[in-house]
Amino acid sequence: MADAAATAGAAGSGTRSGSKQSTNPADNYHLARRRTLQVVVSSLLTEAGFESAEKASVETLTEMLQSCFNVDTLPAYAKRSQRMVITAPPVTNQPVAPKALTAGQNRPHPPHIPSHFPEFPDPHTYIKTPTYREPVSDYQVLREKAASQRRDVERALTRFMAKTGETQSLFKDDVSTFPLIAARPFTIPYLTALLPSELEMQQMEETDSSEQDEQTDTENLPLHISPAEASDLWSLTPWPPSSLSPSDSCPCLLRILCSVLHCVTWHSRLPLIAATAWPPLGQREAH
Amino acid sequence: MDRGAWRATVHGVTECTRLSDSHFQVVCINNINFQRKSVVGFVELTIFPTVANLNRIKLNSKQCRIYRVRINDLEAAFIYNDPTLEVCHSESKQRNLNYFSNAYAAAVSAVDPDAGNGELCIKVPSELWKHVDELKVLKIHINFSLDQPKGGLHFVVPSVEGSMAERGAHVFSCGYQNSTRFWFPCVDSYSELCTWKLEFTVDAAMVAVSNGDLVETVYTHDMRKKTFHYMLTIPTSASNISLAIGPFEILVDPYMHEVTHFCLPQLLPLLKHTTSYLHEVFEFYEEILTCRYPYSCFKTVFIDEAYVEVAAYASMSIFSTNLLHSAMIIDETPLTRRCLAQSLAQQFFGCFISRMSWSDEWVLKGISGYIYGLWMKKTFGVNEYRHWIKEELDKIVAYELKTGGVLLHPMFGGGKEKDNPAPHPHFSIKHPHTLSWEYYTMFQCKAHLVMRLIENRISMEFMLQVFNKLLSLASTASSQKFQSHMWSQMLVSTSGFLKSISNVSGKDIQPLIKQWVDQSGVVKFYGSFAFNRKRNVLELEIKQDYTSPGTQKYVGPLKVTVQELDGSFNHTLQIEENSLKHDIPCHSKSRRNKKKKIPLMNGEEVDMDLSAMDADSPLLWIRIDPDMAVLRKVDSEQADFMWQYQLRYERDVVAQQEAISALERFPTPASRLALTDVLEQEQCFYRVRMAACFCLAKIANSMVSTWTGPPAMKSLFTRMFCCKTCPNIVKTNNFMSFQSYFLQKTMPVAMALLRDVHNLCPKEVLTFILDLIKYNDNRKNKFSDNYYRAEMIDALANSVTPAVSVNNEVRTLDNLNPDVRLILEEITRFLNMEKLLPSYRHTITVSCLRAIRVLQKNGHVPSDPSLFKSYAEYGHFVDIRIAALEAVVDYTKVDRSYEELQWLLTMVQNDPVPYVRHKILNMLTKNPPFTKSMESPLCNEALVDQLWKLMNSGTSHDWRLRCGAVDLYFTLFGLSRPSCLPLPELGLVLNLKEKKAVLNPTIIPEAIAGNQEAAVNPSSHTQLVGFQNPEDDHLAKEASCNMSAHQQGVKRKADTPLGSPLEPGQILEKNEDSSKVKLKIRFSSSQDEEEIDMDTVHDSQAFISHHLNMLERPSTPGLSKYRPANSRSALIPQHSAGCDGTPTTKPQWNMELPRKGTGIHVSVSHLEGKEQPPLEMSVHTAAAAPLSVFGKEPASSKHSEHHHHHHHEHKKKKKKHKHKHKHKHRRDGRERGRGPLAFPSPAGGRSARSPSLSD
Repeated sequence: MADAAATAGAAGSGTRSGSKQSTNPADNYHLARRRTLQVVVSSLLTEAGFESAEKASVETLTEMLQSCFNVDTLPAYAKRSQRMVITAPPVTNQPVAPKALTAGQNRPHPPHIPSHFPEFPDPHTYIKTPTYREPVSDYQVLREKAASQRRDVERALTRFMAKTGETQSLFKDDVSTFPLIAARPFTIPYLTALLPSELEMQQMEETDSSEQDEQTDTENLPLHISPAEASDLWSLTPWPPSSLSPSDSCPCLLRILCSVLHCVTWHSRLPLIAATAWPPLGQREAH
Repeated sequence: MDRGAWRATVHGVTECTRLSDSHFQVVCINNINFQRKSVVGFVELTIFPTVANLNRIKLNSKQCRIYRVRINDLEAAFIYNDPTLEVCHSESKQRNLNYFSNAYAAAVSAVDPDAGNGELCIKVPSELWKHVDELKVLKIHINFSLDQPKGGLHFVVPSVEGSMAERGAHVFSCGYQNSTRFWFPCVDSYSELCTWKLEFTVDAAMVAVSNGDLVETVYTHDMRKKTFHYMLTIPTSASNISLAIGPFEILVDPYMHEVTHFCLPQLLPLLKHTTSYLHEVFEFYEEILTCRYPYSCFKTVFIDEAYVEVAAYASMSIFSTNLLHSAMIIDETPLTRRCLAQSLAQQFFGCFISRMSWSDEWVLKGISGYIYGLWMKKTFGVNEYRHWIKEELDKIVAYELKTGGVLLHPMFGGGKEKDNPAPHPHFSIKHPHTLSWEYYTMFQCKAHLVMRLIENRISMEFMLQVFNKLLSLASTASSQKFQSHMWSQMLVSTSGFLKSISNVSGKDIQPLIKQWVDQSGVVKFYGSFAFNRKRNVLELEIKQDYTSPGTQKYVGPLKVTVQELDGSFNHTLQIEENSLKHDIPCHSKSRRNKKKKIPLMNGEEVDMDLSAMDADSPLLWIRIDPDMAVLRKVDSEQADFMWQYQLRYERDVVAQQEAISALERFPTPASRLALTDVLEQEQCFYRVRMAACFCLAKIANSMVSTWTGPPAMKSLFTRMFCCKTCPNIVKTNNFMSFQSYFLQKTMPVAMALLRDVHNLCPKEVLTFILDLIKYNDNRKNKFSDNYYRAEMIDALANSVTPAVSVNNEVRTLDNLNPDVRLILEEITRFLNMEKLLPSYRHTITVSCLRAIRVLQKNGHVPSDPSLFKSYAEYGHFVDIRIAALEAVVDYTKVDRSYEELQWLLTMVQNDPVPYVRHKILNMLTKNPPFTKSMESPLCNEALVDQLWKLMNSGTSHDWRLRCGAVDLYFTLFGLSRPSCLPLPELGLVLNLKEKKAVLNPTIIPEAIAGNQEAAVNPSSHTQLVGFQNPEDDHLAKEASCNMSAHQQGVKRKADTPLGSPLEPGQILEKNEDSSKVKLKIRFSSSQDEEEIDMDTVHDSQAFISHHLNMLERPSTPGLSKYRPANSRSALIPQHSAGCDGTPTTKPQWNMELPRKGTGIHVSVSHLEGKEQPPLEMSVHTAAAAPLSVFGKEPASSKHSEHHHHHHHEHKKKKKKHKHKHKHKHRRDGRERGRGPLAFPSPAGGRSARSPSLSD
């Protein structure tokens, strides 16, 4: 019962006078709130013309305030003209905010916000200052950059792959300069050979998006992406035994690669990758 | 019989025909096991005897294990005897290809269904003889199984987890020509038509696709399997029956609902795209032929590990799955469409209309090729069509001039085989199964070109009318109930075809046929001219070379087109025997001063800069045979400016191409300019522009010291394909215009061929190509750039020049040329990227592998085959494998590596993919490690033995492969005994002679024999052989005449053609004859009355079975010792063959007769007594049809005592088990079959698998 009352009171008082103390630990909280309520009741009494009141009656009135209380009418009541402003609770060693930078006038509080509330942020914080990197407009540089980034990514990736797996070499005495990822037979070689790679399909989707017809072959191709697979990449384990999936060589890496290659452009395509880069999941044709 | 007789008159070669017509056949395969790769089923043939006295029925069957044969529900005895399993008995040490080819041809004809032969001979139970005499229907029911077939049916079973359907396992029928006998017993001939019921019981998850209409599919009780019932009511030959079973995805064609497409799991989207075009092909053919597609449905099946890219069967075509492609792929699209169109053309001509005999094959191939050409013209345009014709013409011309003539109709003109000098000494063209594959490809090419020549002669309209007539006759016939003479309308023959042509067109095309069909060879023209100003006449001289091999003389009209200032004029010259010079009056006076437009052939008028011209002559250019109306090669001489005019202004793409290839000889700035202009001209046909690229590169190299400006084509490429602002960067890819796409692909490849004064690729060019690769950007492109990138790698490879090597240092990284380092960097990256993002058909990997081989060969990278060997393994995509194998083949040649050669040959024997095996042999033949004229450490006896074994017995399951092995053997060792073999000892001389004439060893003293051998060996000339033979034959003939005198069978004389003079120059014929002689002599000398039935044996068959029997009997190492002695004994009367012959003759019967319960004693004499009557009967009728399978047995009579002994043993066993249950006998049969395992030849094992005799 007391709890319920306390909650209601807290709600009531919170709306009226802020919830400064509501962050105190439980005991403190109750005490502080009680005290605040008493202050409120007292001020109401003062407003009503009383000069003094017995403690017991204040207690009773406080209890009443907690119990029956109409929230709806509060705002109007709060804005009444002859209201009495409760003084701020005493704050010990209030930190003085150093005025580092001031630009323009701070906005004053609207009338219903007590002045002891924190001030609005400095006006300059509201100013939008869009900043861009200097747009590179030179076509040649762009192409150059795209090409070399792409190449770097490819090389890094293939070297990484070569380092982590079996390799073949063109020179007997050197295996690291031109490492070739070892040839590995597929169980179903024609699938990898014939089905478009994911990168290609992605491109096809993009280039074809305007002229979508039901011929877009992408939709029916089974492509399975699961978060579980993605983790494989980083565990550096050998690729799972190939299955009937078209990308049976290295499913997850492929995807990462696709996205990396895709990123390397002068447009930022990040949102695209995050949201729509992957074709619909595994809509396998029923057969 | 009437058909047979008719056939004989038409061709004059069919000595014997079938004695029965099958008219309905059921094939039922009720169990297919993918795990074990086995098939169990039965066939049921309904047969009408066409002669009385039919007591043996011959069918074709290979590999199948036959359990049981019943005729009208009566058990029937049968013999299974396949002489092609091992062509030559293996103790022969001579390794002589000449000998082999003859024996092989004989073996093939010994089982040729068109001649009424077959591997499986069924004896009609005596209870049915009466039934047969009344020519009543026979129903033959044969239970068979097939275990791990090596040919005919191909199983693809990927080794992954899951059920067979999930693994994508499938099986399909395949083979070269009539190969249906590999998977079920039948009359495997294109001319034996019957209607079909086909039933296949497969796993519920699988789909069986076969010919005809799918009547129903029925689930088994447990719902785990279902049976597909197909009915084919249109009479079809067994050779056109096919099957594909797999977990196919099914697509009903959205445009034509009677067409269904099948592909392997996951490929459906590709299938949709690939087949979306097919209906247009249908429409086209139906329209031009004014005939509906003859079958009620059509199925396309795309399978993996295909035997050939396209195989057409009745109402169904089987394609390689690698033809499937998505909409992003440019290069594959036209190729695939061509394959589809080709297969569809063959549906009409080849499947629906079949051929009468092998010699009529050219008509079908010709017509289907011709209408396919019409489709090409309509689809890809006239330029493409003419370009294709030119390409095909060049191909056939090159082949015939290099390898020898291609004869379309080998047996035309009645009589025996003509005295046509065999154009190809190492194989017989008498039978499709003995042909070299390359020859067959060229044969098809020539056939359609000749069909086009006929069209030129009689007009396309008439041509199509002829086709329509053939089709409508056939479709009327097909709807008839069984009437053999009606159904024969569905078979096309050369004479029938020619008759229709003359009926429809009223024109005599006989000279044309004589020139191109009955005769092999092409024409070689040399043209040169002079302009006689006084007479204003063009003096044209046209010479011919008709003495070189592969050429023939041409007499007849020849068109010449002369472009003059006043216009283009056609002249038809008559090429005659002796006239070389032709005067052609010119129309125009030379008048260059008047500025006037010059009219071209097509009516167009153009401005030309005439300053380059000869001031005196009005001639711009001259073309000889511009319409390609002769199968010819033309070398014509013209001034360079004439070629340049021709290139610039002649509108015919063929003329442009001719001009381009001629301009290579004129490296001048004017040529350069002409080529550059063509390159730039958008209207010009893209293939011409591509050809101009390569020509320009060659010219630039010839002009290297005077060349000015940037490397050839660079500025052009920059202008066309690079960014305006930054000329070193290529535009982002946009392949919407295919013409410029192809040009863009080709130009760098051609540029990489440029060389500077040091004969190196200019640095500028290499940088340029590397930049192209670097800046390649395909993100905005609608199409895949995989072919483009692959060609960039090809370009890199083209730029490689031989490494400068200082005293043969070892190639290491340290001394790597910096340019090569850059190239290697790119190749490494590309090859590695392929692992992560594979390109379509792995085109990039293929190019990388080739490039690496180029680097190895040029000494930049250590030559090492291990990389290629890993890529050549089974499990890689087939294109990669072939590229890798090509590199290994090249390595084998360059490094003379015996180890690699062995590795390749092992793969030929063991690889699971038939195409790869075939291709290895093919590549080895094209790029041989050594040739017959070359000394090589690789050439040793072991290799000879190995190859011999391969072609002799190791490839009996695949005609194409065996012929490939023969080709290789020919390339390596030539026709005669390989030089690396030790000289034969005298004892072995006999063997060599045996193929020439058996009499030699006894009659000709050994010294002479030795001489003869010497004469045969070194020059390996057919002529020589031909020269020698008549003598032998003469001897043989005499002998036979003498002998036959005391033979008692009078009727037999009639059927033995021995008395007739032999045709000279026909080895095959002779060979058969000599074998015949051999048998004759032997039998007559044996004076054993019981053996007289031998005489009716088809001679070659006897010859073959003689060899075969040798094999089938278990033998000991001592056998080879016996052989010569034996044959000798056979020839010398004193050694009565009868003494060892008699006992060995009978055991086969022994086994059957008791089983048949005829109550015969095991004793030999008794059996023979029983045997006599049927044979006697057959003798009466067998004049044209030697049936006597069973007569074969005596052939074994000459076998050693060892055999003899064995059979005694065998007989004892028989006696013991006589009254026991049937299957005992079967086991016996198997034991017998297993016998040869002891024999160390590969064929031994095989014959064990195919039961030679069982119950």
